[in-house]
Amino acid sequence: MTLRAFRQTPWGRPQVLVGCAILLAILAAALFAPLLFPEGPWPAVGTPYTPPFQSTATPLGTDTLGRDVVAGLLYGARVSLIVAVAATAAAIAVGILIGAIAGYVQGWVDDFLMRITEIFQTPPNFIFVIALVVILKPSIGAIIGAIAVVSWPPIARLVRAEFMSLRNREFVLSCRLVGVPPAKIIFAEILPNCLSPVIVTSSIMVATAVLLEAGLSFLGLGDPNVISWGGMVAIGRPALRSAPYLSVFPGIAIFVTVIAINLVGEALNETFDPRRRRR
Amino acid sequence: MSRYAIFLLRRLAQACIIVVGIVCVNFAVVHLAPGDLAEVMAGQGGGGDAGYVALLRERFGLDQPLWVQFQRYALNLLRLDLGYSFKDNMPVATLIADKLAATAILMIASLGTAFLLGIGLGTLAAVRHNSLSDVVISLLALIGYATPLFWLGLLLILLFTVKLGWLPSSGMRTIGVPVSGLAGVLDVARHAVMPVLTLTVFYMAVFIRLMRASVLNVASLDFVRTAYAKGMSRRQAYTNHVVGNALLPMITMLGVNAGGILGGSVVVETVFGWPGLGRLTFDAIFARDVNLLLGILFCSSLLVVITNLVTDLFSAWIDPRIEVSA
Amino acid sequence: MSFTRRNVVAGFAAAGLAGVAMPAVVSRAYAATPKKGGLLRMWIAEPVMLTGAFNSTGQIYEISGKLFDGLARYDFDLNPKPQLALSWDISADGKSITFKLRPGVKWHDGKPFTASDVQFSALKVWKELHPRGRSTYRYLADVEVPDALTAIFKFERPSPYVMNSLASVESQILPRHLYEGTDILTNPANLKPIGTGPFKFKEWQRGQYIIFERNPDYWDAPKPYLDGVVMVIIPDAASRAVALEAGELDVAGAIPVPLADAHRLAGLPTLEIPVQGSEALAFQAFMELNLRRPYFQDVRVRRAMYHAIDRNFVRKSIYFDFAKAATGPISYENAKFYTADVPQYEFSIAKANALLDEAGMKRQGDGLRFKITHDPLPAGDHFSRTGDYFKQQMAQLGIAVDIRNQDFPTYYRRVYKDYDFDTTSTGAFGLTDPTVGIQRFYWSKNIVPGVAFSNGSGYNSAEADKALEDAQTEVDPTKRAGLFRDFQKIVMTDLPLFPIADARYITIKSKTVMNIEVDPLGAHGSFAEAYLAR
Repeated sequence: MTLRAFRQTPWGRPQVLVGCAILLAILAAALFAPLLFPEGPWPAVGTPYTPPFQSTATPLGTDTLGRDVVAGLLYGARVSLIVAVAATAAAIAVGILIGAIAGYVQGWVDDFLMRITEIFQTPPNFIFVIALVVILKPSIGAIIGAIAVVSWPPIARLVRAEFMSLRNREFVLSCRLVGVPPAKIIFAEILPNCLSPVIVTSSIMVATAVLLEAGLSFLGLGDPNVISWGGMVAIGRPALRSAPYLSVFPGIAIFVTVIAINLVGEALNETFDPRRRRR
Repeated sequence: MSRYAIFLLRRLAQACIIVVGIVCVNFAVVHLAPGDLAEVMAGQGGGGDAGYVALLRERFGLDQPLWVQFQRYALNLLRLDLGYSFKDNMPVATLIADKLAATAILMIASLGTAFLLGIGLGTLAAVRHNSLSDVVISLLALIGYATPLFWLGLLLILLFTVKLGWLPSSGMRTIGVPVSGLAGVLDVARHAVMPVLTLTVFYMAVFIRLMRASVLNVASLDFVRTAYAKGMSRRQAYTNHVVGNALLPMITMLGVNAGGILGGSVVVETVFGWPGLGRLTFDAIFARDVNLLLGILFCSSLLVVITNLVTDLFSAWIDPRIEVSA
Repeated sequence: MSFTRRNVVAGFAAAGLAGVAMPAVVSRAYAATPKKGGLLRMWIAEPVMLTGAFNSTGQIYEISGKLFDGLARYDFDLNPKPQLALSWDISADGKSITFKLRPGVKWHDGKPFTASDVQFSALKVWKELHPRGRSTYRYLADVEVPDALTAIFKFERPSPYVMNSLASVESQILPRHLYEGTDILTNPANLKPIGTGPFKFKEWQRGQYIIFERNPDYWDAPKPYLDGVVMVIIPDAASRAVALEAGELDVAGAIPVPLADAHRLAGLPTLEIPVQGSEALAFQAFMELNLRRPYFQDVRVRRAMYHAIDRNFVRKSIYFDFAKAATGPISYENAKFYTADVPQYEFSIAKANALLDEAGMKRQGDGLRFKITHDPLPAGDHFSRTGDYFKQQMAQLGIAVDIRNQDFPTYYRRVYKDYDFDTTSTGAFGLTDPTVGIQRFYWSKNIVPGVAFSNGSGYNSAEADKALEDAQTEVDPTKRAGLFRDFQKIVMTDLPLFPIADARYITIKSKTVMNIEVDPLGAHGSFAEAYLAR
């Protein structure tokens, strides 16, 4: 592909490139945090409440207990991304499984699975997450699990709809005629054809998961053994007047990440959306 | 029987199954949480002795086996009795009714504003696709989406209460000054501005993005091109054909969000001390007030099921392309 | 910080003169005449009911004392002073207390207040239904009522701590005519109380506010000075801080905002934090250790860990000097029983590591000695901050700490029922008497699974038990104080719990609010004397 041709694709647009660059930078920060701060984000390295840009050792200042805000941000990137990606991945896996079976098998199985999906979709989302985290006791795993539990139903419905429209296409019928086992038809034949809307939806889910985790931290249900951006905003928030930087920096981090994910998500959308491709 | 009636009956039957399922799931979830109301109340009271906890547990019916408790709960529900909140010393139905208005004001005002703004700004962004206004609107939507509400809320309070002194920081009414009539309405409105604004920012992001995508999508469809071919102006084409058709997914989304109204917004209600159902639910979870929690979950689930039903029927009615079947 | 001179003077004046005898003088000591009128706006966490006769939740403690008077109130030395009881006479064997009641006191519904109300409340409410009353009045055999204004408490054995537990909030008298023969726990009057106090219940809008109005027939006329008190419910701490700053709230007690922000608010020209008014609560933050764990059974390990906790850092960076570094199980605020003459554990990481080596807790290959969990009480920023700090400090000893967050019910179950914890940051009111407030954490007979704020550590010392039990029945105040001094030495030697900070249960108030810190309950008091100077 020539440079000019690349510029024509959604991926060649400047904002998408910026989005990709930001995401890569965040990934790098998350990956290299332990190299830059082998001690982790916890040890006190300076006087509590050192403002930012005052000391070269702690360029973005220190928190209530004298911990380095930069270290917190880098380690926070790890946790926020792990939570978001893992929860989304789990939701997609469950959603695809249920949606695919329901859409392919149809009949009472479909009925049954769809009722279950609706039951999970019915309680108020955030309250359901809170209840689940309380039951599982707040930890990174519980938070990921709870977010996944409320996030899979839309995926399941989406996949089911795609399957219902694809299952009677010729390529599927011919597979059935020659006796390909249903599992293989589902996962090898139909699924690849309906992944694009799933991928597009998941970019939103990743952003939502970062925010859900922040909301949980605000209500005191975060995992205290890890530092996350949401947790930093939540903990720094009461000191918004005396030490605004404590919640502003992680807030900006969340914001920039969500925007980057969205920009990339848009590009994905345009790349994969069959209707737009047609144009 | 008409196809429509069969569709309706089928959906109703499904709705009933879901409600029964939800009752069971809720009960299970609520009882899975460690600890119970008796321990919480004894704990908040600073301790007590073992006899005191046992006494409370017996009072609350928590000493019974779980299946007996479920039986009681289910029987009460059949009689439309939501039970008694031992934490708040009130019937659950009364407690919910108390907070219903506050939650409805907050949620309907913010959903409605966000919906209308979403249609306007989303259409504008789509019409001026890839122009500066599109970028600005899309960015605004993203900012709204990416800002944690508990943080945005506090910023608004700092601006409007502390710096400008225009709006009260929390609550729903001015206390101690009994006002009624128009003055009362205005008083509530003043208190509602910031919480509604905070929630609107969040919902608006969703609606703008959806509307923009939907308009772009519809505008590329064949019938719109036909309209252009027939000599219709761009403005006419949009007002007559595009916007109306683009509203369909918006209405579905509105339905989804309207169903969740009774969940309230725990975060916004916490920040602004808004006396709604979200906060009531949150407190009920933290106090293990099983009856109250089950009552709220039941009511809000019921509303979701009903709105889903209505949205489905409505969509089927305005868009004949939607198959009237399962 | 705002230790204004006026405040300090007010505090001392009140300390000397508080009590029913000369309340007018107290006021005159620093303000010509109290101003009448005005609504006082006070923050409160939403309570579940408005009477504290059988529910001692913190916010009910703050609320109900304004609706109900008690038999006695307390001065700053925590000595009882007459309130509804004019006088009392304790028999030589300590087994009988005769209260002479104040004549002419009326319930808010106009019915007279009599000894029969006291009798009913003591026997049917406190002794049976109050979480602490069940032990405070355990040996109360009967209450005799020879006439309408005399109540004689008869005990099976001396219970000297009863004289320290007579404040309205701890032993609240309910109107017999509304409660007798009913289900006390669900009596409608619990939500719309009829009391004897300076304020009457008017309205409760759930999730929003509770309004009390002036009781015009209060026995101590011309008090109360305020037209009423509005309790505003604001669940978010940061929003409360803003409401105080914007002048939307006049008073907020019970550590209403994170302490970092309290520090900032105290610096504003309109607000102040009184230095007095939490003595009767004597709050202490401490850590409980689960002594059932093998590594905590060696006292050297416990001492080592305590040596590694810099309580002055905690005082400064977590409590922002709204506390003193704790030295023992009893808070300095309870001056009657507190002693500093106990074993001291200065901050020294080196000493801590040496003690651990001596105890045979070898560092493994990864530098770790052992791993423990830590559960902060989910009731405020300061406990989780303390947990974070604990984690940092223990890391320097080679002890890995895994912090666990949870909500209240899970916490109670883990720490006080399943004993599924290693260490916890928590805190409690020491109250006016160690038998009532402190004993519960140290007495071996209080190892009762399923009871929150009992002896969760599993500490079982015959010596400590003896001191505590002797103090339960010792009638001579001097000897009794001596027994508690012994107790403090014993537990600071054994160190089953780590006292961290004697934190003032601070109140933030507008400078226009006067006379709320006139007794050791502060914002938890009756507000009969309070007024607004604006």
